[in-house]
Amino acid sequence: MTEKYKKQETRDELLSEIGDYDGLKEKIIRMYRNNRLAAFSAALIILMILLAVFAPYIAPYKEAHQDLLMRLQPPSRAHLFGTDELGRDVFSRILYGARVSLVIGIFPSMISLLIGIFFGLIAGYFGGWIDYVIMRVADVMLSFPSLLLAMALMYTLGRYANSVLCIFGALSLVGWASVSRVVRSVTLSLKETEYVDAARSIGVGRPKIMLRHILPNCIPSLIVLYTLNVPSCILSESTLSFLGIGVQPPAASWGLMVNQSKQYLFTMPWLALAPCLTIMIVVLAFNFLGDGLRDALDPYLKKG
Amino acid sequence: MMMTKKIMALLLCGSLTAGILAGCGGSGSEGQTAEAKPETEAAAEEAPAADEGAEEAAAEETAAEEPAAEESAAEAAPADGEDKILRLGWSKDIQTMDVHRTTDNYAVPLNIFDRLLEVKLNEDGSTELVNSIAKDYSISDDGLVYSFELRDDVKFCDGTPLTSADVEATFTRMFTLEDSVQTDFTTCIKGAQAILDGNADSLEGFRVIDDTHFEIELEEPFAGFLSVLATPTCCIFSKANLEEAGDDFGMVPAKTIGSGPYMVTDWKTNDSLTLVRNPYYWGEPASASEVHYKVYPEPSTFNMAFQNGEVDILDCDFLDSSIVTSTYETDAYKDKLIRVNRLGTYMISINAGIEPMSDVRVRKAIQMAVNRQGILDSIFGGHGELVDGIYPAGSIGFTAENQGWLQYDPEGAKALLKEAGYENGFDLEISANASGSSNIASIIQVVQQNLTDIGINAHIETYDESSWLAKRKSGEMPLFAGVWTLDYNDPSNIIDTFFGSAESTKGRSLNYADTDVMARVTSAKSIVDETERLKEYADLEKKIVEEDASWVPLFALQHTFVISDRIEHFTPHWAGYGDFNAYGVTMK
Amino acid sequence: MKAAVKRLVSMIPVLIGVMLLTFIMLRVVPGDPVSIMLGEHYSQAKIDRLTRAMNLDKPMWEQFVSYMLGAFRGDLGVSYMMNKPVTGLIAEAFPQTFRLALMAAAIAWAVGLIAGITAAVKQNKLPDHLFMGFSLAGVSVPIFMSALFLQYFFSYRLKILPLTSDGSAASLILPAIALGWNSAGSVARMTRSSLIETLQADYIDTARAKGLLRPAVIFGHALKNALLPVVTMMALQISSLMSGAVITESVFSVPGIGRLATQAIQNRDMPLLQGTILFTTILVILGNLAADLLYSVIDPRIGDE
Repeated sequence: MTEKYKKQETRDELLSEIGDYDGLKEKIIRMYRNNRLAAFSAALIILMILLAVFAPYIAPYKEAHQDLLMRLQPPSRAHLFGTDELGRDVFSRILYGARVSLVIGIFPSMISLLIGIFFGLIAGYFGGWIDYVIMRVADVMLSFPSLLLAMALMYTLGRYANSVLCIFGALSLVGWASVSRVVRSVTLSLKETEYVDAARSIGVGRPKIMLRHILPNCIPSLIVLYTLNVPSCILSESTLSFLGIGVQPPAASWGLMVNQSKQYLFTMPWLALAPCLTIMIVVLAFNFLGDGLRDALDPYLKKG
Repeated sequence: MMMTKKIMALLLCGSLTAGILAGCGGSGSEGQTAEAKPETEAAAEEAPAADEGAEEAAAEETAAEEPAAEESAAEAAPADGEDKILRLGWSKDIQTMDVHRTTDNYAVPLNIFDRLLEVKLNEDGSTELVNSIAKDYSISDDGLVYSFELRDDVKFCDGTPLTSADVEATFTRMFTLEDSVQTDFTTCIKGAQAILDGNADSLEGFRVIDDTHFEIELEEPFAGFLSVLATPTCCIFSKANLEEAGDDFGMVPAKTIGSGPYMVTDWKTNDSLTLVRNPYYWGEPASASEVHYKVYPEPSTFNMAFQNGEVDILDCDFLDSSIVTSTYETDAYKDKLIRVNRLGTYMISINAGIEPMSDVRVRKAIQMAVNRQGILDSIFGGHGELVDGIYPAGSIGFTAENQGWLQYDPEGAKALLKEAGYENGFDLEISANASGSSNIASIIQVVQQNLTDIGINAHIETYDESSWLAKRKSGEMPLFAGVWTLDYNDPSNIIDTFFGSAESTKGRSLNYADTDVMARVTSAKSIVDETERLKEYADLEKKIVEEDASWVPLFALQHTFVISDRIEHFTPHWAGYGDFNAYGVTMK
Repeated sequence: MKAAVKRLVSMIPVLIGVMLLTFIMLRVVPGDPVSIMLGEHYSQAKIDRLTRAMNLDKPMWEQFVSYMLGAFRGDLGVSYMMNKPVTGLIAEAFPQTFRLALMAAAIAWAVGLIAGITAAVKQNKLPDHLFMGFSLAGVSVPIFMSALFLQYFFSYRLKILPLTSDGSAASLILPAIALGWNSAGSVARMTRSSLIETLQADYIDTARAKGLLRPAVIFGHALKNALLPVVTMMALQISSLMSGAVITESVFSVPGIGRLATQAIQNRDMPLLQGTILFTTILVILGNLAADLLYSVIDPRIGDE
């Protein structure tokens, strides 16, 4: 009891020397108080995720349900956002499309986060030629315009798997480099600190040092990076689908819906508007949330 | 150091301001030019190209001063001094103007080259073969030797005359060119196969008699041969030009010489292509003095460009039928809609080599399950005609007797499936091509629904184009939608392609099993008696589609174009291609 | 100077890496461009003949070596689809993309700086929210959406600006706005946060204490330093402008690099795709280098970091 208390005390002392300290939770709560927009965005995102998860229960129609007699109907009570060129309910398709679009936004970002953490830690911790090689590879990745890189990967992967998986893979491979840069720089600055030295001297293994002592310090930055990476993935997916090299029909994704409905822009604007606005709102929400988190969690990332 | 810093800062600000000013200035002046849009814009855009064309024409005139060319050259210059520019659009740029190297970029070759014969599209929709640069021809009694006489007034756009030697060079090149893709219909010429096999380097069946006379001998009789000669495949090139241009032929405007009504003067990749009248053209000069093609990758942009008056002929293939219906099937455009039968059959291919579709009852069930009229009405606005066989409506070989037997009958289909022992359905992949047209994609989605309705668990799998083609070629594609548009108006064109040999049906993923029928398909070509030949083709059609249910025949469509106010008259390509000869356009 | 040389040297492995990666990425797959070229009319014999004619039967390493050697000479192979040398196609397309990107960058910088500065000065007041909302929207709206709508309203409805690119500067305004708005968002956000931070610095307090007026403080002292990190963004912008150009070029029919890339993918035209990616990537690398050099000239403090 006393010992634990003591330990806590020294930690707090140490932290108070460094500066104000709030836990992650406190910071997020503070953001919620100060930045209502970010909080609202977070709520919106959660709502969207719920809608996507429960789409089969909420959507009035199945995503592929066609009614050729009801093609291109304007919005009505039966069809909230109207129907598309095959008489499918646009509202239902947006709900189902949220599954594809959100999954493509959320998971590839996570994968690239993991890849980035792995390489960033290794590069920063070991230094030397390992660092050099990894960082040059990261430079190479960052030099590619991301959309073109994703396009090139779609070209390669396109023949192996279905389109959603391809985009998945492509976007996972696009984003890791910037993550590894951040992780590396934090690792570099921490690996010479006393507490890491101390851990090393009492025989703590390298993996443990990296994961237990260094990685936690990256978390605030990573949360922000992640939140801002999600919308860019969603946008990439919609752009690829817009160009016809992304998700393929009959799967529904927001980008694909815009792609298919863009020609009705004159005559039946709601068809293109519904998915366009959905993309915009969700991406905005993620961006607001990301900005809010950045202000709250990570003063260093403000510059980037 | 301080200095540098300041200078840099100044430079930065300076460049920014400049950028802003440039932006504003641009927008201001733009507003003004745009007011007076149609003419000014076109004129400004065309000015350089027109100059170039004029220059070239002038140069040619001096070169060929004494011959009778002055006459046609004089005619080529618009009498009223006003240029009539025809502005067209396409969704992607062409790859080449050399027809031996492409199977789908026919627009420019149709305009800048001549064929020995042409197909004329009559007002009533029927077609006939007419002479073009061939003045006369005769066929030997055994149907093997074709003798031609050329017009003696045909000149290439560089002023040189077109002779039998040019025709010979063209036909020989078709087989000797390493990457020629145009050998399918012409290998029937005697000696062609020998060249392809590498055993000869000249075409045995082609005999030059004099400058205007030559003969072509075939391996065996082929009734469709004259029709083949009228296809873009058989555009006639200039021998001297082919030799001089080498690989630049078809790629560099100045090095692509033809005898057609137009010559190409300018080609900007992915952007635009310009044709001007060929001053030496042997026929009446074309109505439009220049033809300008522009690439519109986005269909919606293309549509807006037409409505803004920047395009003269809108190819409605690029648009969804509902847009055509709501925008153009209105009083305002009533007289502007041009419809032509497209000599092509849409079909759903069923792979008989894959279980359980090897059972004819299952194939018949699939035939009955597809709501063809529904697809035609909803996706294509009803502008077409159901086809129950192989040959598209309006083509040679199409017979009324073979129509009307196939009805949409999901209940009957279910019963058939039950009879075949697939009461609970089965898994079935429908293969889609990612680069296919959006209409095909829509057809597939409806077919998926139709098949699901009779209990087949159908799902759509999308492949990128080359994987799709590779899979189809391997003979393992279970079910897919396709269309075949006739290259030449003869039943052999379509039936040979799909049912001509075991290799063909496998390559089309049909895996049609009856080898006797395929042998009949091959030999039908050489039946000299026309009535007998067509009877045989009709019987084969009945056997393959009605009895053996090899595919789900869908429909033949109409091709819709909308013309602008500047156009008096427009005759599309006889087979309903999107590519057409601008010679068939009369400007106001 | 030392930094510049160091930077130049570090570029070399990156360049080689880019080449290698592009090559591997695209060649690992045994593509069959031949069947695409032939379209509906093919036979095995014909496919074999074409494959030979295009060197596709050679072993991978041989293709690679010849590609590398060619690339250094500026020969990037021949596009399957267009039948033209890739280098020539890029040279033809690049000026279009360059002009578009330049105009977009000008718009992005003008709008972004004004919005960013205003937002920073009026932090947490209405103009801040207004301008930042506007720029965040720019980042969030898909480029194809803004492009389609700009085209619809200004060219089709109002008929003020040309619908598609005809080579004139005027016809590039709409695509440049669509493209620039997106980048303007990033510039504005960056300017704002950087300026806010600078305004909290001690020397600004000193300047204030001297009795300088607020605008003088902001424009005379703070902005100069606040813009330093914004300059590095220029390099990042090249990358995102290139990505964005793919869309705007397609919507506005601009015959630029982005169009080449899209076409290359749709037609599985490997040499063309390889060439365009290599080219734009080198452009980004050079842009990064230029920004770095510029940065070290403006701010000598970060000489030998």
